[in-house]
Amino acid sequence: MVDVALQGTGISSAEQVDRAKVLQRLRLSDVAFRHLTRFAAATVLVILGGIIISLVWGSLPALRAFGISFLYEEVWNPVTEKFGAIAPIYGTIVTSLIAMLIAVPVGLFIALFLTELCPMWLRRPIGIAIELLAGIPSIIYGIWGLFVFAPFLQQHVQPFLIALFGEIPILSTLFAGPPYGIGVFTAGLILAIMVLPFITSISRDVFEAVPPVLKEAAYGLGCTTWEVARYVVLPYTRVGVIGGVMLGLGRALGETMAVTFVIGNAHRISGSLLAPGTTISATIANEFTEAVGDLYTSALIALGLILFVITFIVLAIARLLLMRLNARVGG
Amino acid sequence: MDTALYAKRRRRNVITMALAYGATGFGLSWLVLILAVLLWEGFSGLSLAVFTEMTPPPGSAGGLLNPIVGSLVMTIIAVLIGTPLGMLAGTYMAEYGRYDKLTMVVRFINDILLSAPSIVVGLFVYEVMVAQMGHFSGWAGAVSLAVIVVPVVVRTTEDMLTLVPDTLREAAASIGLPRSLMIQKVAYRAARAGMITGVLLAVARISGETAPLLFTALNNQFWSLNLNAPVSSLPVVIFQFALSPYKDWQKLAWTGALIITLAVLALSIVARILTAQRKTS
Amino acid sequence: MSVAAITVPTVTHSLSKDEELTEKISVRNLDFFYGDHRALKSISVPLYRGKVTAFIGPSGCGKSTLLRILNRMYDLYPNQRATGHVTLDSANILAPSQDLNLLRAKVGMVFQKPTPFPMTIFENIAFGIRLYERLSKSELDDRVRHALERAALWDEVKDKLGANGLSLSGGQQQRLCIARTVAVRPEVILFDEPCSALDPISTAKIEELIDELKDDYTIAIVTHNMQQAARVSDFTAFMYLGELVEFGETTRIFTTPNDRRTQDYITGRFG
Repeated sequence: MVDVALQGTGISSAEQVDRAKVLQRLRLSDVAFRHLTRFAAATVLVILGGIIISLVWGSLPALRAFGISFLYEEVWNPVTEKFGAIAPIYGTIVTSLIAMLIAVPVGLFIALFLTELCPMWLRRPIGIAIELLAGIPSIIYGIWGLFVFAPFLQQHVQPFLIALFGEIPILSTLFAGPPYGIGVFTAGLILAIMVLPFITSISRDVFEAVPPVLKEAAYGLGCTTWEVARYVVLPYTRVGVIGGVMLGLGRALGETMAVTFVIGNAHRISGSLLAPGTTISATIANEFTEAVGDLYTSALIALGLILFVITFIVLAIARLLLMRLNARVGG
Repeated sequence: MDTALYAKRRRRNVITMALAYGATGFGLSWLVLILAVLLWEGFSGLSLAVFTEMTPPPGSAGGLLNPIVGSLVMTIIAVLIGTPLGMLAGTYMAEYGRYDKLTMVVRFINDILLSAPSIVVGLFVYEVMVAQMGHFSGWAGAVSLAVIVVPVVVRTTEDMLTLVPDTLREAAASIGLPRSLMIQKVAYRAARAGMITGVLLAVARISGETAPLLFTALNNQFWSLNLNAPVSSLPVVIFQFALSPYKDWQKLAWTGALIITLAVLALSIVARILTAQRKTS
Repeated sequence: MSVAAITVPTVTHSLSKDEELTEKISVRNLDFFYGDHRALKSISVPLYRGKVTAFIGPSGCGKSTLLRILNRMYDLYPNQRATGHVTLDSANILAPSQDLNLLRAKVGMVFQKPTPFPMTIFENIAFGIRLYERLSKSELDDRVRHALERAALWDEVKDKLGANGLSLSGGQQQRLCIARTVAVRPEVILFDEPCSALDPISTAKIEELIDELKDDYTIAIVTHNMQQAARVSDFTAFMYLGELVEFGETTRIFTTPNDRRTQDYITGRFG
């Protein structure tokens, strides 16, 4: 069979053979390239699969030894080789919660400022400043937290809080002394500052996508800027904002270095937020290289598995929400 | 008209607008505080010695030469491994398989990997490399950084290639260019600035990553270019020195932190300039 | 060229000889600037109470710009400013001291694209009412119903007041927006090409509506559809390149225009 390209032209048969060879080679390399890219794409799945399998494999000894009690026991004793994950899980969840409680309202208000109040010339600089905040590596937050923030909290803020809530029930236990400086609360605050830029930039992006006509319609009724934001912009962008919040939550849950420096690394659950505690990632970071014994190592990997499962669920929900948003806006 | 109601609405508006201003000031002031302290503490320790001397034992003077070199080496290897892999995967997703099932799944998974806790990546590489090989190594460290690079590069490659207009592709096809050559010669060239930006962003991202290195490359006080053994890196050294009780080690930690931050900043600025150039061209 | 030789829209409104006209809005020497570009040049035009005034002209002539000055909508955008006098019942609305929210409560606007808020149908209407009045639940229900009836939408939505506003068809959404505007009891309603995104049946319904609303409100309508202007309005203003070329009773403008440019436009010569 002769190629259409070669038919009926004044090419000699020798040239036809050469040309056929070239075309053949091109065809092969074309196919090879396609398979190569496909293979590379599949590798992404392999990486995820590898992570899950290796975590499960590594956790097996611990899970077999402790079973479901691993999830709610507080004991963490490398000597007697008894391990329970509740203290790190508690710390992970509580620090992230504190972070979100602060970062979400602040981030939304900053996004509101950027879209409605900020003068035009100031918008880009502030946008860049937010990206800067997002780009600072977490270990910087860690040492800043340890050397600057924690002492400041210890000397000025925490004694004030302890005194302020001293008589009020519930709050007095939550904010009981002594003022360590480091602790669950401090870690939550640092996480808040880390998560703030994410929430802000995603919120700002979705706020900017609101059709101007819609806002004009609300202003046209005589709404104040706040009313437009609260009753029109926020409901309209609800899905995107929640997606952004969940992305921020996913980051907070997995954050290691910033938290490790300031959480105090105490394997217990205290009543007070001002007391030291630990998170899953902080525990792993601090203890993994010193862990002796397979059970100890396995317990730490089991912690990693728990963290991975939690963040996977949160991130999956966030991605699904954002996908839905893109579908709506695009289609 | 109900004037009390109107007054209440106006009051609420003033308060919430003030909150918006306040929130912005609040957020910005943290940036200023952190950068100011970083510059102050880091700068005072900055000297030529930092770049020429090795990490000292506590109590003596020294520098950060081996962690800087270690970080550079592992970063370069991570980029060399992760970038081609990420680019090829992104190419499949944008070119061959733009609308197929595999791409949809990979995109979803990739986005999750993008935000996954990096300490989990460290555990993964520990299990498959360190535990298997029986020792910590610079290779393991580089691989764990590569695993973080891949999702970033996949994302930017796919985004940038998707932006290339189809008319360009059709023009290439009409002169008989086979698909793979069209991609390599036409699409890549058109998306080049964007893809380079992606690589720069990935590098910025892994420059500050500590957690994955903690139990893959570990740390090394001495000068070593042997990647089969533990290799020192800037973030891990900062971690160790900052948490120590020694003042001179803490000083070096701040200086190291400043170096990393400046590197990340420089990379972001270059990436931004490239993006701006792309937009104007 | 004889005007009768070209199809001219039939005019259905004419004023009785001794009708008294009061100016609800007076525009005097209005200039408008986008940055340094002067988009409106010395516009002077009256809007009479209880009448419909149409603004016609080719694309870009400034008719929408003019409309958006009447409720200071341009204030939302930094580079836009207006100079001159625009008075609503003798209050100068261009003055910096003018309370914008109160102005917009008096001067409502219906936009080209239907813009229901992301709320239920009921809430879309109730939202505006609640901004200005504290009503009991039954009073609120009545007001919402009344507004929807006024907009000729009640029968179609009375069973699904809890449905999302976006679930309605385009024509219904626009009537919802009209109901929403009417519900806050403005004195003037501005229509900015309200039917250009709608089908002919919805357009006809809305034109009927405008005719009914005229009794209680002063109405200004911008339209690129001359037939619509002729059907719906009592007065017509023809604008061209930022200037007011001619203003007068609709019957006169469409039968014996004074200005050559007006005549060319309505006979389809350009635009």
